[in-house]
Amino acid sequence: MHLHQRRGLSRARLWGVGVLAASALALSGCAAASGTPSASNSAPLKIGISLSLTGDFSSSGKAAQRGYQLWADVANKSGGVLGRKVELDIVDDASSPDQVVTNYTNLITQTKVDIVFGPFSSLLTVPASRVASRYGYSFIEPAGGGPSVFDQKLNNLFFVQPAESTRGGDVFANYILSLPADQRPKTAAYAKLDDPFSAPIADSIQKRFEAAGIKTVYNQTYPSETADMTPIVAGIAAAKPDVVVGGTQEGDAFAQIKAMIQLKFNPKWLYEANGSNSPGDFPAAVSSANTEGVFGSIDWYADSTVSGSAKFISDYIAKFGGDANQIDPTSAEAYSAGMLLQEVATKTGKVDNATIIKTLHSGSWPTLVGTLSWDATGKPKGEYLLVQWVNGKLQTVYPAKTAQTSPVAPKPNWAG
Amino acid sequence: MHALIQAIILGILTGGVYALMASGQTLIFGIMKVVNLAQGAFVVLAAYLTYTLFVQFGVDPFASVLITTPLMFLVGMGLQWALLRPLHSDDVAQLSLLVTFALELGVEGILSFTYSTTLTNIQPSYANFSWTVFGFQVSLVRFFAFVLSLVVLAVLYLVLKRTKFGRAVRATVQNPMSAQLLGVNAQRVSALGFGLGAATAASAGSVFGMLNAFNPGSHYDLISRLLTVVVLGGLGSIGGSVVAALVMGVASSVVSAEASPIWSDFTFFIVLLLVLLLRPRGLFGARTRGAL
Repeated sequence: MHLHQRRGLSRARLWGVGVLAASALALSGCAAASGTPSASNSAPLKIGISLSLTGDFSSSGKAAQRGYQLWADVANKSGGVLGRKVELDIVDDASSPDQVVTNYTNLITQTKVDIVFGPFSSLLTVPASRVASRYGYSFIEPAGGGPSVFDQKLNNLFFVQPAESTRGGDVFANYILSLPADQRPKTAAYAKLDDPFSAPIADSIQKRFEAAGIKTVYNQTYPSETADMTPIVAGIAAAKPDVVVGGTQEGDAFAQIKAMIQLKFNPKWLYEANGSNSPGDFPAAVSSANTEGVFGSIDWYADSTVSGSAKFISDYIAKFGGDANQIDPTSAEAYSAGMLLQEVATKTGKVDNATIIKTLHSGSWPTLVGTLSWDATGKPKGEYLLVQWVNGKLQTVYPAKTAQTSPVAPKPNWAG
Repeated sequence: MHALIQAIILGILTGGVYALMASGQTLIFGIMKVVNLAQGAFVVLAAYLTYTLFVQFGVDPFASVLITTPLMFLVGMGLQWALLRPLHSDDVAQLSLLVTFALELGVEGILSFTYSTTLTNIQPSYANFSWTVFGFQVSLVRFFAFVLSLVVLAVLYLVLKRTKFGRAVRATVQNPMSAQLLGVNAQRVSALGFGLGAATAASAGSVFGMLNAFNPGSHYDLISRLLTVVVLGGLGSIGGSVVAALVMGVASSVVSAEASPIWSDFTFFIVLLLVLLLRPRGLFGARTRGAL
């Protein structure tokens, strides 16, 4: 899960017109208007993607780029897609919703790519998916999971994560409500970042908890410029909740936890929507001894037991270096977008947009982020993994079928 | 009641750090009539310097103040000499806004390029330690940050009250023309004053990096707080900015803990508006402006 929603500056980037590609497509007799070449040709399979390679989104944009490139490399090493070499045409949108429209329009009408994949963030996915829809292109997208994406009710869109972003924490509610009634928390506190991708995660959990009789004793939303979380945590501590749910991004989650340690407040259950699910950053931010027992939710992480994950990690490190815990889940999500395309091609023997749209709307599809299926609007029908820091490692603890270990509750005391 | 007292303790300790940042801001205004928009960026720059010293060389963040403060003093003097001194004195108030804004953006750009835009914080082994005093938690870092602020402010006070340079500064603040007629070198005082302002930002930056996660863009929130503190205290009054910073710290903390975090900063602005309506020069503007 990667739910950042920030804004960056716009800077247009020019790219060459795909004259050669157009000629190749013309020669192969493709239908330029729909951009769906026949499956039988041996021309390269051109995939167009707009990503935020500069500006504020750049770190996530580049993570997506690495995932796409790695998938293309792996696919090409095994003979491409239906024998066609994969060629990625990645252009920069600098996080601008205007630029992303220009980019996809150009990729489809000028460069005449065969397929498009999605950009980073819901902000950009909404306008980009409309362009793709207008030209009859499928839109497999790894990083636009906000309600605005699915409210469009587009038939061509497929979000490559287990559930819509605002339902990322539902798996924590599922776990808590799976406990016998006498072992459940009686009271809950909710501290929510005022951000369309953070507060709704906690809202969704709160709704479920309240319906199950878990009393809300603290419920506050804080603005994104809140640097010091200590007064907020002082308020939470005074309310003495059994469970604390943080509707957070990364920085505020770390600040909440540091404040809890300093105020010596240790709830029995602690869930953070983002931040605690980062095996690379979380231990460094709060010190590794203080991670124990903290819950989070995620779709992919380095110790994920999903099939193909180990190969993805070794390929990734071989190509880009670094260590497994530093791999951004966005890379795995982008890689999974490629996997879906490959699976459709293998299953149908075709790789045109109409086939992709029709095929993905039925059945379920294994990826690095779980086995996916979608409703008519492209909203995934699964759930995230509930992860918890157990014995110094981030481990899946729920749902039981994918769990690596049992959830630890109550949470051990802070190490200080 | 427990939460209220805890919030007041937190507010006072945090306010101390803001007092340190704002004292430099108000000093620069007092001497040069320059609203230094880059003060927040100086704080963030110092936080990154402290981070590098800690991560690369293992220098304790509190000890690094001894390195960052003189370094930023020199940087401040250099910047004043290079960027503000050439401005024509008639337009200095307006032009300096643009120059310091450009400086602020420049510092942010360099930091973004060097450190990336992801959030960082300085995490020494004692970062999360706190003492329990009568049932209330007093964070070690906040406590020593507060003590450091008091020490730096005391040094600043002594420099201004007991040294020849301090007299020259106070004379310049009260009446620049008379000070020059009496032989005060206004350019020198301005350069040293800007250096001192940057130096206070440096000492505050070292502790700011331990209290909060920060990135190169953190200066936007800082500068808006600093400007309100300085205006509330009375532009040019160091004592006023200390009081205003403490008022802001306590008001934000208490409202955040007892009412709602959404209203925490807003409450402070209400106080600011009321003070400005009743005393347009700020809390201490009229009485002590000339005396710093």
